[in-house]
Amino acid sequence: MTILTDEIRGYIGRQSEQITACDAVEPGAVRRYAQAIMADDDMTYAPDATAGRYGGPVAPPIYPAFMFRRPLGTPDVLSERAEDPDFDGLVSSASDGLPELPLHGRALLNGGSEIEFLRYARHGEQVTQRSRYTDIYERESKNGAMLFVIVETEYTAGSDVLLRVRKTIIRR
Amino acid sequence: MNTPKALAFEDVAVGQEAGPMHKGPFTTAHLMRWSAAMENWHKIHYDLPFATGHDKLPGLLINGSLKQQLIAQLLKDWAGPTGWVWKIRFQFRAMNLVGERLEIWARIKDTQPKDSYGLVELELGIRNEAGVESTPGSATIALPFREGPPLPYPFVPPFA
Repeated sequence: MTILTDEIRGYIGRQSEQITACDAVEPGAVRRYAQAIMADDDMTYAPDATAGRYGGPVAPPIYPAFMFRRPLGTPDVLSERAEDPDFDGLVSSASDGLPELPLHGRALLNGGSEIEFLRYARHGEQVTQRSRYTDIYERESKNGAMLFVIVETEYTAGSDVLLRVRKTIIRR
Repeated sequence: MNTPKALAFEDVAVGQEAGPMHKGPFTTAHLMRWSAAMENWHKIHYDLPFATGHDKLPGLLINGSLKQQLIAQLLKDWAGPTGWVWKIRFQFRAMNLVGERLEIWARIKDTQPKDSYGLVELELGIRNEAGVESTPGSATIALPFREGPPLPYPFVPPFA
């Protein structure tokens, strides 16, 4: 059975608005993140180690791609879907600003990424993102049809691009 | 606190390894700590009945989003305070489950001097204790010449 309908194909090229993360790069969030990835890197907290190149403490390299959170005053999907047995806990549409694909109940797997780094986010900076569905295609596997969804996101701070991420999301 | 040393383009050669770096064993606590740090509540990382029952997975998965951080960490530490990890690419080809220990590895495939710095191409991956490769990929790292100028920051990619 094919998953890739004309309706889903119509999402190719759709992009989000330019979204600003609800929180700036916070030292406490950077600390929790650095500890969670087990990288107590001095660039994330030591001004002396970072003043020259980075202009102060910075976040770990991929941090901007994980700092977009649900703002206060917006719907709490975890509560709204608490009794939905198919709800997988993901709140992806809230994080990248893209319209959710009509694939209710289908498992979502992270297929991998290409990431280009241009600079790190400094503590206190506001970060924005814009995402786009650049491709959606279907492949057969031993477990049946799988949909490959390619999303490109650019993260910026001020006039600088911090990083670009081309992510492959697999739905099956 | 890490203190990586400065690396120059002339210091590296094809076949040389970056790392390896070892992490684990990964527990559900590690995965919850990561889920909380990024506020992502995908159940396949902590809800065993959902992971195995609904999504038909063999167990709780170590987050791909966490594994990519480990790749970035290995390469950034190897590139040192004067190098720059320009690009990384990786595919999540196999699952890694709670309880596994992971080895993150990289090896130089090519080196290319450019006008004001050099580019180093690496192949990389993440293996578990059984030797199963889960995350094959590649990376491009810029290193300054020993007698050359520092890398531009923000990084400026070379002309093709």
